[in-house]
Amino acid sequence: MYTQLFTFGAAFLGSAVESTEALTIVLAVGLTRGWRSPLYGTVAALATLSVLVLLFGQLIVLRVPETTLKLIIGTLLLLFGLRWLHKAVLRSAGVVAMHDEGRVYQQTVNELQGALAQQDWVGFVIAFKGVFLEGIEVVFIVVAVGGTSRYFPEAVAGGLIAMLVVAVAGVVVRKPLARVPENTLKYAVGVILTSLGTFWAAEGMGASWPLDFVSILFLAAVYLGASQLAVLLVRRPVMA
Amino acid sequence: MRFIRSAGSEIIGLFVADWVQTAVIIAIVAAGWYAVSGLHATPLPVLVVLVLLLAGQHVWFALAEARRVKQPG
Repeated sequence: MYTQLFTFGAAFLGSAVESTEALTIVLAVGLTRGWRSPLYGTVAALATLSVLVLLFGQLIVLRVPETTLKLIIGTLLLLFGLRWLHKAVLRSAGVVAMHDEGRVYQQTVNELQGALAQQDWVGFVIAFKGVFLEGIEVVFIVVAVGGTSRYFPEAVAGGLIAMLVVAVAGVVVRKPLARVPENTLKYAVGVILTSLGTFWAAEGMGASWPLDFVSILFLAAVYLGASQLAVLLVRRPVMA
Repeated sequence: MRFIRSAGSEIIGLFVADWVQTAVIIAIVAAGWYAVSGLHATPLPVLVVLVLLLAGQHVWFALAEARRVKQPG
């Protein structure tokens, strides 16, 4: 039950963050150049990403032995989660600027206005590229979390529902979802993925955790504590 | 070609922000794996050390990057 919830939650939150970023690009293209090409680009990117999920999902679930899978995917999840957490810590401490959907939107609009004389495929390519590149992270989260926990359908459902929620919100407000607390979400997903990565990497080594999956909560507490400590230390004024 | 290159660097960028930090994390995991599988050490102390080292390097590298960014020039 816990494993299913964690799998769904990690896939949902990770996908929500990346979908918000992809939506900004598609909106910028659609509202400046018309909707046909960016929608085709989005559909093409989603189709490519679905093929990747199915291909790697099947490959991982059916072909890779469980301990090897846990060690390799656990380590990759650890690297991936720590990267998100690292960035979230620096943003929370004010060292790196917060991700601003409004600014990303304006940048894309400016680039497109300079390219208005070109063919309509520009809209297709920009939407495809934006959705595909943001979507690669979703593919990794869904495949890694779903494949290793053996709850692949739950992970796919988490990813799909997140994309659907973000898409509906985008259609309703017709502007970038600037109010989504992206840094907080990335912080949370970073903690969850780092904890899952540590848990599975250790199981892949041949160790078993006390209280089994419940120990992920303890891991999450440790990584959250370490991140908060890092934010505090970074914010601390340097003595001359 | 440019798209394939940016997709490639995007995929590497999923896991690597700082090569030194990546090497440290992999070294910690490899040491844990060797201790449990090779030396047959008692798993619980290994797990505790593993988690503390991973959390410690996270704090260390965040501070190091903050110092780098804050440095004038």
